[in-house]
Amino acid sequence: MKENKKISRRKFLGLSAGAVAGLAFSPSIPTLFAASKKTYDYSILPAGKREYIASNCAMCVNKCGIIAEVVNGRLHKLNPNPEHIKSRGMLCAKGNAGAALPYSPDRLKTPLLRTGERGEGKWKEISWDEAFKYIAKNLADLKQKYENRSTVAFASTEGFQEEFYYYLVNSFGSLNTVRHTTLCLASNIQGWSSVFGVFPDADLLNAEYVIMLGADRAQSLITPDSVNFQRYKPEGQKLIVIDPRFTVTASKADRWYPIKPRTDQGFVLAMINVIIKEGLYNRQFVESYTHGFKDLEKMVQDYTPQWAEKKCEIPAAEIVKTAREFAAHAPRSVIYPGRRSSFYSHEVYVRRTFAILAAICGCWDTKGGVVPRSSIKLNTPEVSFPFFMQTRDRVDKESTDLLKDVVPSSVMCPMIGTGLPEDSCSFLSERDGSWLTFREAVLNDTPYPVKGFFCFKQNPMQSVPNTTKTIAMLKKMDFICVIDMQMSDTAWYADIVLPHTSYLEGWDPATGISGINPLVEFRQPVIKPLFDTKTMFEISGGIIREMLNIPSLWDDIEPDDLKNFKEDVVEGILNRPIQEYIKTQVSNYPGALEKLMNNGFFTVESKKPTYGATRTPGFRFKTKTGKIEILNERYKEFGLFPLPKYCEPKNFVQKSGTYRFLVGRTAWNTQTTTQNIPYLWEIEKENAVWINPGEAGKLGIVSGDYVWIKSRVGKQRIKALVTEKIRPDCVFYSNGWGRRSPWLSRVYKSGASEAEIIEDVLDSISGGTCLHETFVSITKA
Amino acid sequence: MKRKRYAIVFDTKKCLNCKACTVACKFENYVPVGDDSYRLWVTEMPLEGRFPVLRQEFRPSQCQHCENAPCEKVCPTGATFRTAEGVVLIDYDKCILCKACMAACPYDARFVSKKHDAVEKCTFCMHRVSEGREPACVETCPVRVREFGDLNDPDSTVSRLLNQRAYYQLKPEKNTRPRLFYLK
Amino acid sequence: MTNQNNSLSHIFRVNKDIPAMPFIACGAALLLVGLIGVIRVLVYGQEAVYGVTRQVPWGLLIATYAYFVITSTGLAFIGGLGHAFNVQPFARIGKRIVLLAFIILLAGFTQIGMEIGHPFRLMYLFILSPNFSAPIVWMGIFYGIELFLLSIELYLIFVKSPKNHALSAATAFLTLMVGVAATSNLGFVFGSLTARPFYHGIYFPTFLVVSGIAGGCAILLLIHNIIYRFNIPDELSRTMSGLSKLMGLCIGAMLFLSAWKIISSLYTAPAEAYEAATALLSGPLAINFWCGEIIFALLLPLAMLLMSRGKNFMIMGAAGLFFMIGMFFTRYDFIVAGQLHPMRAGNAGSHVDVLNGLVHYAPSSGEWMIFALGLGLFFFFYFLAERFIALEPE
Ligand SMILES: Nc1nc2c(c(=O)[nH]1)N[C@H]1C(S)=C(S)[C@@H](COP(=O)(O)OP(=O)(O)OC[C@H]3O[C@@H](n4cnc5c(=O)[nH]c(N)nc54)[C@H](O)[C@@H]3O)O[C@H]1N2
Ligand SMILES: Nc1nc2c(c(=O)[nH]1)N[C@H]1C(S)=C(S)[C@@H](COP(=O)(O)OP(=O)(O)OC[C@H]3O[C@@H](n4cnc5c(=O)[nH]c(N)nc54)[C@H](O)[C@@H]3O)O[C@H]1N2
Ligand code: SF4
Ligand code: SF4
Ligand code: SF4
Ligand code: SF4
Ligand code: SF4
Ligand SMILES: [Mo]
Repeated sequence: MKENKKISRRKFLGLSAGAVAGLAFSPSIPTLFAASKKTYDYSILPAGKREYIASNCAMCVNKCGIIAEVVNGRLHKLNPNPEHIKSRGMLCAKGNAGAALPYSPDRLKTPLLRTGERGEGKWKEISWDEAFKYIAKNLADLKQKYENRSTVAFASTEGFQEEFYYYLVNSFGSLNTVRHTTLCLASNIQGWSSVFGVFPDADLLNAEYVIMLGADRAQSLITPDSVNFQRYKPEGQKLIVIDPRFTVTASKADRWYPIKPRTDQGFVLAMINVIIKEGLYNRQFVESYTHGFKDLEKMVQDYTPQWAEKKCEIPAAEIVKTAREFAAHAPRSVIYPGRRSSFYSHEVYVRRTFAILAAICGCWDTKGGVVPRSSIKLNTPEVSFPFFMQTRDRVDKESTDLLKDVVPSSVMCPMIGTGLPEDSCSFLSERDGSWLTFREAVLNDTPYPVKGFFCFKQNPMQSVPNTTKTIAMLKKMDFICVIDMQMSDTAWYADIVLPHTSYLEGWDPATGISGINPLVEFRQPVIKPLFDTKTMFEISGGIIREMLNIPSLWDDIEPDDLKNFKEDVVEGILNRPIQEYIKTQVSNYPGALEKLMNNGFFTVESKKPTYGATRTPGFRFKTKTGKIEILNERYKEFGLFPLPKYCEPKNFVQKSGTYRFLVGRTAWNTQTTTQNIPYLWEIEKENAVWINPGEAGKLGIVSGDYVWIKSRVGKQRIKALVTEKIRPDCVFYSNGWGRRSPWLSRVYKSGASEAEIIEDVLDSISGGTCLHETFVSITKA
Repeated sequence: MKRKRYAIVFDTKKCLNCKACTVACKFENYVPVGDDSYRLWVTEMPLEGRFPVLRQEFRPSQCQHCENAPCEKVCPTGATFRTAEGVVLIDYDKCILCKACMAACPYDARFVSKKHDAVEKCTFCMHRVSEGREPACVETCPVRVREFGDLNDPDSTVSRLLNQRAYYQLKPEKNTRPRLFYLK
Repeated sequence: MTNQNNSLSHIFRVNKDIPAMPFIACGAALLLVGLIGVIRVLVYGQEAVYGVTRQVPWGLLIATYAYFVITSTGLAFIGGLGHAFNVQPFARIGKRIVLLAFIILLAGFTQIGMEIGHPFRLMYLFILSPNFSAPIVWMGIFYGIELFLLSIELYLIFVKSPKNHALSAATAFLTLMVGVAATSNLGFVFGSLTARPFYHGIYFPTFLVVSGIAGGCAILLLIHNIIYRFNIPDELSRTMSGLSKLMGLCIGAMLFLSAWKIISSLYTAPAEAYEAATALLSGPLAINFWCGEIIFALLLPLAMLLMSRGKNFMIMGAAGLFFMIGMFFTRYDFIVAGQLHPMRAGNAGSHVDVLNGLVHYAPSSGEWMIFALGLGLFFFFYFLAERFIALEPE
């Protein structure tokens, strides 16, 4: 503080020099003053060495470009990189607040070993050597005891270092991995892919007409979309926002429809009905590229706007108008794919329906429509890991029907006779797993016990619904290791906590970011590491080297495998500086490394947006028929509805006095990661629940009152915000509050946690989580 | 060469209320965390209409760099002064913390700074501008609500925007002649 | 040497009759509290110790500053009437008046000294780079001169022969003039704030001058009652009734001014002034306003002065006491009311917390302690002087 004060103090350089100069030129007093002001020294930065180092933000999934301003080795500020083709010169509140991260007193600074009971908060500082030995020994013990490597599970969320986390996973040989995908966008990927074979991006820069259903680009920042949708919005582009809440995105819309939640599919089906009935669809495109249009035509006959009006509570005339406008602007019309789709149990069908609307209007792979992503291929070393005998298949693959018993009637969809489709996890992506199924399997020891838990860059205590079950799951573990930067709620319940280096202090490998404009990013240290932390690259190396000292860990593989593994993975990569790895990765592109170092990213000319690669005769989509599948053949095989039939629970009535709980974001926090950062915390010090004034009146609640929000699985105390911005049948509050870890001092027990009250409902097709299937009651606290 | 007349033009219709500018300003200018400690603010304007026809805007603001600056007039020591470019600045070493300027400012732009032990406020990031860089709040904005530039340069973005579009200013009745312009 | 000794012995004596000790003790206690306040400020900083905010940057200490210095200039005014215009009843108690004015001015300076963040910087910057368009500079100049003139008066009255009339009268006249200038300029310190319409106009400078004179009368009536143990000798009856008449007149003027200020604030355009007025009439300051200002400062003293019919000194003293209490609220309310209207609406994100459209201010314990410092200084030194210096009327 003191030091800063001295340096930044402003001084008149020139009261002497300037004043004299002023006198020489003009005798008048005012000029004298002006002259002295002109020589004013504006600098506020400490004198010394100033550097600008390019890298990329890691405060959320977006990885925007940053130029770190470093003065005398201390990070002063993170500036946006104006040349970055994804973030296009912006840096959000969280991205800016990243500059405080390395210096935060709340960081994890050294490995910690639990000494008291789990969750009691008694820790001992240990060295990395001790930590690696301890972990290797526990892994060996678990393997020995359960004779099944998959008894250790590995949770993680995307990030550049995740690649090296999988070095550890694969070196141990567990197949039980769970990622954020099924908490986030699994159903979205599944739904769009079931039509087009891939999950596309929206070409907002060239679209004339945009419909956003259930996405909030103004607050849930996704680059480049969040930049494009206002800053580079083409003249005349129309935006229709459909959301039960009046989000900031809705405030920018030409029209906002506060749809009855869970009925989006009805809205879009009615649009399709109008478009087909009025012959507004793209006949030629449909004929050339799609499969099953005739069946669709038949199916949507009943889905009239009048029918939809009753479901969605949006006037039929508005639906008709929207349908006609969408078709009129096609193919420069976007039905926005969005990102998070962990909404409802039938979400795959919702997203399928979106995709089908795009398909019949030919808004595919063309300027202003939805466009398949392209990517830049890196020369990343292909490494092979040993084949372990004692590895069993994933738990969630074998226990897909466990969650059936806990499905509430509110989500039962008559897709198949009784309720949910049977063959659920068949579509899960191997690495992603299915969080809810996984947890249920662990809780039931089915098909086998899972006794070890690793967690990297994920905080399932807050991000997986129904915290009670997550705690129960953790209780089943013999061993828990969490790798984080702060004492997350999950870390608080661990046996050993490893401090990860922040994204500003270490090297991250080059990683391709796919999109309409693909690019490759990496990270370089902008400051020297401040504490005794390590990156996942170093942590995996450390643990694996210790594992190699324990023969019992390698007794179920071929000796040759071990030798190759040591040579390729350990000697070839982990024992060498990561910079060499990065060099290899980009070795195909001359000058790429330099571009990375200077600009934080690189792209290649040939990847400038070109449209229509898939719109060529004979192109095979990654679907069973090779066509755009309006009717999905594989779904048919699996006994699922092949067409986007409207899914809703049978005879469901929302009990009066209950509200559907909705999930959404604020622009200044990322998930459960950033709330404790003082610069963000001061923007919002606790969350508040949105309640419509009419309902609040009935309940006798005014803004500022504290209320209890109660669901079947938990209750939370929270401040009320009475606002017209939400439908009367819903309530909402933001994620990341009401924390269980006292080391998150600012937000510990402040506000309300979402995960504690959201019921665990599975979208059984994608394995995804349904965060909007919970009904809550409200009482004054 | 003509003397520069710096100004900021806001296109508030685009503002996302994302608070990137507020955080950026704090880091750039060493403004500490604290409820009264901020150089700029982004206000949620009152919600208009009734469900389901609603409208809302967000309005960022900061020191207006008034051409007729009440804060400057009342400052007893000349700590508050205007540069040749019309930027209102404070010489922290001359501030006696009488807070007259705070009482005088019609925009509540000033505050007592723990960091400087003086009153402080937005400086238009003159330390950046003098190096040819943009103010931090201008640069970081996802939608570029603000444009910074020279009113005396007819080709500057600010001049062009003010020529092309209607605008308003805050509290014109105070006759402060702000250098912040809000596009309509 | 002998001469000086003589004059000094002429000055000093022990006045056993005056009940000064309890006040000296009380003053010492208050001074102690004040010193603790000062130490707190030095250790933790003003920000942590004071309750003023970004929205209400001027709080209790500006009010107490005004309270003291305006009373002081009011006293100087009365003294000036006595010495310069030869109003005998007031001239008779000239010593007391000048000493009171001097000590109360110093008490006021403690308030502003502790309120300003860098008082020492102020001292040299006012000389090195004064901004003459700033009313505060003039405030500094006027009050600086006032202090200087009062010192000279003190010197003339006590050290020099008290009979040096010509010089005495000239200084007294100057003191009166500068006092009026200082007080009305203090009004302009507020009146010049375009941001705060409630302060605007001629009202405040006038009101301050008038209420200062009333304050001077009030404190003299009160002090004499104390000194003479509520048994003021008949020889002072003309002085007392003179003071009470002057005070009554001033209170009448104040009533008139206040009424029109409130009425015009309620009727004029700027919402700010209207809101300030309603804050006083029915808002957060209503109790202060009706009880403190209207009853204690205006109605009650006026009624009592009328009741006393210029004869009952005890009732006059009581009127003085009530007035001084009421005057505190008057100063406080005025300073605070003008700032309660926020400079931007209290919408989310504006950082402005409002209740019914107004921001909130409440003095902190630290600010009260600094007020105690000022009060303590007054009690301690004034009654010390009463005890040990010859102040009786001529
Ligand atoms: N600032 C910030 N930005 C982020 C993140 C962050 O945490 N903070 N997280 C990133 C991540 S991981 C993701 S996945 C994305 C998520 O970003 P988005 O995909 O935009 O998803 P959300 O904002 O979670 O939810 C979108 C909206 O759906 C609405 N909604 C709820 N139910 C329904 C319904 O039945 N129908 C319709 N039409 N709408 C409904 C909610 O009110 C909410 O406003 O954001 C990313 N960007
Ligand atoms: N109730 C509720 N649940 C949700 C959501 C919701 O909105 N509401 N959103 C869902 C969505 S879309 C998603 S994507 C998921 C996200 O959920 P998670 O993937 O669990 O993400 P976070 O909750 O942000 O937790 C990330 C953890 O990683 C840590 N971390 C951050 N950076 C690093 C790093 O560089 N290294 C290491 N080792 N650790 C780091 C953070 O401190 C934090 O503890 O949550 C899902 N679950
Ligand atoms: S959106 Fe914000 S937090 Fe996310 S990467 Fe970009 S700047 Fe960082
Ligand atoms: S906005 Fe306030 S601080 Fe800025 S120049 Fe105007 S009066 Fe001064
Ligand atoms: S507080 Fe400082 S800048 Fe403001 S008027 Fe007083 S001396 Fe000038
Ligand atoms: S111009 Fe600079 S100092 Fe002013 S508000 Fe913007 S970032 Fe802050
Ligand atoms: S950064 Fe831009 S969009 Fe965000 S709050 Fe500030 S002005 Fe608005
Ligand atoms: Mo996500």
